[in-house]
This record gives sequence, structure tokens and C-alpha cells, in this order.
Amino acid sequence: MESQKLTGMRDVVGEMLAELGEEISNLVVVTADVGKPTRVFNFSQRFPDRYYNVGIAEQHMINFAAGLASAGALPVVAGFAIFIQRAWEQIRNTVARMNLNVKIVATHAGYSDHADGSSHQALEDIALMRAIPNMNVIVPADVADIRRSFRAVVASVKGPVYYRIGRDYAPPVTEGYDYEFVLGRAYTLREGSDVAIIGAGPILYEALIAADTLRSMGISASVINLLTVKPIDAESIERAARVTGHIVTVEEHVVYGGVGSAVAEIISERYPVPIRFVGAKTFGRSARSVKELLEHFNLDSKAIVRACLEVVKHGDRRA
Amino acid sequence: MVKVDAAPILKSIGEEINQIQNTVVSARRSLILMHNYDKHIHITSSLSSLNIIATLLMKYIRRDDNPLNKDWFILSKGHAAPALYAVLTEVGLIPRDELVKINSLNGVLQNHPDVEIPGVDMSTGSLGQGISFAVGIAVWIKLRNGRGRVFVLMGDGEQDEGQVWEAITHAAILKLSNLIVIIDWNGFQLDGKTEAVKSKHYLPFIWSAIGWKVLWCDGHDVVSIVSTVNEALESDRPTVIFAKTMYSYEAEVNNNDFKQNGEESVNGEPKTNWNARCSWRDVG
Repeated sequence: MESQKLTGMRDVVGEMLAELGEEISNLVVVTADVGKPTRVFNFSQRFPDRYYNVGIAEQHMINFAAGLASAGALPVVAGFAIFIQRAWEQIRNTVARMNLNVKIVATHAGYSDHADGSSHQALEDIALMRAIPNMNVIVPADVADIRRSFRAVVASVKGPVYYRIGRDYAPPVTEGYDYEFVLGRAYTLREGSDVAIIGAGPILYEALIAADTLRSMGISASVINLLTVKPIDAESIERAARVTGHIVTVEEHVVYGGVGSAVAEIISERYPVPIRFVGAKTFGRSARSVKELLEHFNLDSKAIVRACLEVVKHGDRRA
Repeated sequence: MVKVDAAPILKSIGEEINQIQNTVVSARRSLILMHNYDKHIHITSSLSSLNIIATLLMKYIRRDDNPLNKDWFILSKGHAAPALYAVLTEVGLIPRDELVKINSLNGVLQNHPDVEIPGVDMSTGSLGQGISFAVGIAVWIKLRNGRGRVFVLMGDGEQDEGQVWEAITHAAILKLSNLIVIIDWNGFQLDGKTEAVKSKHYLPFIWSAIGWKVLWCDGHDVVSIVSTVNEALESDRPTVIFAKTMYSYEAEVNNNDFKQNGEESVNGEPKTNWNARCSWRDVG
């Protein structure tokens, strides 16, 4: 591999998979001609007989993994998030309906594949996966989140998991926090009393910058890491609504059906408060960096600040 | 001089074939009964697959708690589920009184196979997925040196799915000698004759070209099915059997047989003359 700097999200997953292969004798890795870009290729060097590259065949990849799981293997499927959606119906009809232990690692999600443009930028996958019964959806914020969650996801979480990560872009978000991953639990990264910014993925870096900016303006913003999007931590979300009275959701995903929608489903039933959604509204495009795209499509810290300022003016329903 | 006598061997073969044929007759009666209770079952496709399913389940599928040592039966053409249920009833895995409750809320039998149903190895209903699933099972059994074999029943219309190509090219590379696919070549798919919807006459040559052993049989003749499957089991690579069948074998679709409903049955048995006809006829 050209650069051995283990900073990208995919690098950490690749490295951890190779470690897990030593411990878990029935762990197998399945990919569809993206072993190198997803970094699961590392696994094949150590466990060649437990590594299956099925060729460019995503639908087959999913059902093949489902068969492996039925026969007693523990398959981890790795592919680009957008092309895994090509097998949505296979995931829905076989993996989820049979509640099989198939772990899907979806890399290059959101804008992380900035150069490749709209065909490669998965901005609808959380919505698609969240809609499937039995499916668990996990969206780590950074490398530290992967380190604390990936082992448990592979070794302990039962049933299908959609594990959504980016390519390389992964500024430190949860570095230094000492929480442990528990499926279905959200984590407060910053306490605040005026507005709660709830989101998932690397975009939480922008949320933390926004919270700093807001503090300098006299507004106290909490930041919540919705590491597990499904099953959702309804209690933490309701508590945030009661404490701050205002919610802003952030996601590197369309605002239709994703993290924002999931949060809105909870608060509209449990404790309705004004809410704003920061996220994509259309396809992406090619750019020289993720940062540029976040700014271009109004998903950066400035956009989050604007949404927070707008929502706090929208009445006050603090408990 | 060595004293030999083939009679006992031939007798047991004959008895086994008789037993399968009797099962087919009984299961066909169940199918017509189910259809009398619910017209939504896919009766024609079930009839074309029945003899194949019965032969596989009666003669080949070995049950075992270990997933590596059991034989798997994947009904990739899931719409033939009623035929599978009818045979599973004959082998005692599904209670007989469940048959008439098919598709009802108080029954367990779904119109497409579901793993909640005893004896069902994969939830199917969406075409093209069973073959990929079977490849996954077969490769794991081989890697772990299990004795299990994987049998897949596909439809001819199902061959249109792109996923079939993805799966069979992979299986050939993996040299899965424990994988046997049977294609129910009944000549029909949802919108009409397969040749009218999308030509498939070249398919056996494609399977062969990518590395599968290709065999043929008469999918309604138990002897033909048995001898072909026996040959497939000797193969050192995956085998596909093209089984020529008839849509609606031994039943007529457009006659009153299929217009009856539950009330017209007597003591749970339909009035249908279910075994009267054997028509190689064109229902298109």
C-alpha cells in the first residue's frame, strides 16, 4: 500500500479485520473487486482461504455471504457504500429477512470519495438501510470510534449490521473520550443547554467547531454522537430535547430518511421541539477535498451555526 | 464359481422408485387440495417442479443438525413452495393440517418459502438469490471438510436474472463439486412462453462454457431424475441438470378443476380428478 499512515477510516478497519481473523476462526471476508480500496486485502494476505473476492458482482456478494453465514461462518462483507445499495433487495430479502449474522462494511460513504463525484458518493444509504427490519446501522465518527466499536460489531452484535465509514477523511472527533461502544447508545461529546446538535459520522467534526463558535456568541450547544443510528437511543434524544428545547441534526447524507429523520421520529412523538436539518439535498459532485464539498453543499460548521441560530429563535420549549 | 444374485439390489431400487412415485401421487393430491383452499398458490409452477422436489427430498437430502454435514435444499424458484410443502408433509416435517391453511393468518405456510417453516433451508421468493446463497454454503462446507451437499432448484425464467451469471461464474471457479443445480425447464415465465419473453435456448452451452458439468433429464420421470442426479454426484465440478418439464403437469389449468373452492370438496378431498391427465399440451 502506497502510504502506510493509518489515519483513514478504511485503513483501521482493514488492520482490525486482520487482527480479528486470528481470534475468530470462522471469520471470513467477502468483497467485490474492491479488496484494495476497502483495505480488506490485508486480511487475504494472512488468511487466503477465508477471503473471497467474488468479482464485480455485488448482488451475488451479499447472498454468497448470507449462505456462508447460514452454514456457520461469520462473514464481513466490504464494498463501496453506493454499490452495496445495488444489492439492497438482496440485503432486505435474504440477509435481513433471515436475520443472518452478516456484517456489511460500507466504505467511501458520504462525500469521502470526493474526487469520484456523484456516482460514487452514497448519500441515501442510511435511509435505505434504516428502513429494513432487523438491520442495525452504525456510523462511526472517526478512527477512535472505529477502534472502540468494530471489534464488538464483528464479535458480539448478533444479526445484520450496516457499518458505514468514509474513505480517508477522518478528523479527530472522539479522540480522548473514554466511552465504550454499546449498541444503541448515543454519546454526548459536548454538554450544552440552548441547542443540541445531534449527528453521526465525520461531519461531527464540523458540529464541534460550530459549538465552539456558538459559545463565543453566548449560545450553549451540546453535541451528541449518534454512533448507532439504529436501534436508536430514544432516551438520549428525548433528554436532549427536554434540556435544550432545540435540535439541529447533521449528517453527510440527504436530509430525507437519514439521521435527521430518525431523530425527528423520536422527538415528534416524545417531546416535540423545533428542529433543523443540516444535510445534503441533492447528488454530490467531484471536488479536490471533502472539506470543499461540505462548504459547497452547506454542510460545514458555518451552515450548522446558521441552523442553530435559526432554531433557537423558534420559541422555547425547554422542560 | 462365485454365487451372485442381482435380484435383491434391483428389488430395492424398484421399491425406492415406487416409494418416490407414491409420494408424488400423494403430494400432487395435496397440491390440488391446497389450490382448492387458496387460488393464490402458484399451482402450475408447483406441478412442474413436484417430481424433482419429491425425488431430491426422498432419496438424496440427508438431515443433520450440523450445517456442514446436512444436505441443503434451496428452492430458488420460491413460487413453487406449495410443492415443497406437499412433499415435506409426506416426509413428516409439516403437519398435514397445515396444508389447507396455506396463506392464512392462522397457518405457518407462506406462499414463498420461509425458514420459520420446518424443513425450509432458505427464505426465498425473489429470483436469482438462491443460487448465490447455495454457493456460499457449498464453499464453507468444502473448506471445513463437511459431507453436506447443496441442491438448488431454479426456474427457467429465473435464468434472466443477472445475478445468476454472477453466481455461476463464481461457483465454477471455486470448483464446487458439492453443488448441484436443477433447472425446471417448463418453458413458461410470468408473461408467457420463455422463448417469447426472452430466448434461453443457448443457456446450457453457457453453463458448460464457464465450467459446469451439464446434464439433461426428464423432470417428471423419477428414474430419469435419479440416474442424472447420481451422475451429477460423481462430478468433480458443479453440475447443472436441465430438467424438461411441463407447466401444469397432470392437471389442466383452464378447466373447472382449478375453479373449485373449499366448499366443493368432500371430507377435505377435492372432487378434482387430479391424476387423470398427463398433457404435454401448450397452455399458452
